[in-house]
Amino acid sequence: MSGLSILLRGILFSLIWWLLTDGDTASWWIGVPAVALALIINIALLPSSNLVWHEFLIFVPFFLLRSLLGGVDVARRAIDPRMPIAPALFEYPLRLPAGMPQVFMANTVSLLPGTLSAELCTNCLKVHVLDSRGGFLAELEAVEQRVARLFGTSLKTF
Amino acid sequence: MTLIDYLTAALLLAGAIFFFAGTVGLLRFPDVYTRLHALTKADNVGLGLMVVALAIQAESWTAVGKLLLIWLLVMLAGASVAHLVARGALRRGVRPWKQ
Repeated sequence: MSGLSILLRGILFSLIWWLLTDGDTASWWIGVPAVALALIINIALLPSSNLVWHEFLIFVPFFLLRSLLGGVDVARRAIDPRMPIAPALFEYPLRLPAGMPQVFMANTVSLLPGTLSAELCTNCLKVHVLDSRGGFLAELEAVEQRVARLFGTSLKTF
Repeated sequence: MTLIDYLTAALLLAGAIFFFAGTVGLLRFPDVYTRLHALTKADNVGLGLMVVALAIQAESWTAVGKLLLIWLLVMLAGASVAHLVARGALRRGVRPWKQ
């Protein structure tokens, strides 16, 4: 693991401490050991991540917009008197590498329109879809592609 | 009231509508999986709108950061817990509702 990524994580944790304490300088007596401890635990649990930071700038607006649409979509279906839903369980073959990218994908999927990740098995994601008539497959493929870019990997081809 | 106050009021109201819709979904939807859809997605948007409403009123940058941190953590917890509940239901053999 490179020194630079340790430094970046340290800065991130310090920033969180600064936020939590409203920038109170006296609190750093506890803050410095807390940040150090968090950093040690973080490195032990997640020794390397190939997160491509600048890809976040593309991913965040995409995610915010899609999750907003996800909320609007489900709210509309819930309030509509006819309740237009046609749920189904679907097994999506994952092409992402195991570990963080797959977990990240599973969590993202649950906040996007009409999809809920129900189980992560070996290289497949069981997805519950709210409306099986919709274009959820194209959406899942697009998300997977974006997550791959975020983690600097490519998708396996079968 | 200033323009910012009106914006805050509108965003809070919109957020409340999403929380309301999420609860309606929880009550109306037929099974555990569809109910999870309503809770995770609608409540996430509701909270997001409320966070933005409060952030534009905040008196310091640390308050804005704290609000965003809360939203981020709730989002992470909401998505993870929804996944765990759905997985638990699947493993117990709860069949998804079909028309």
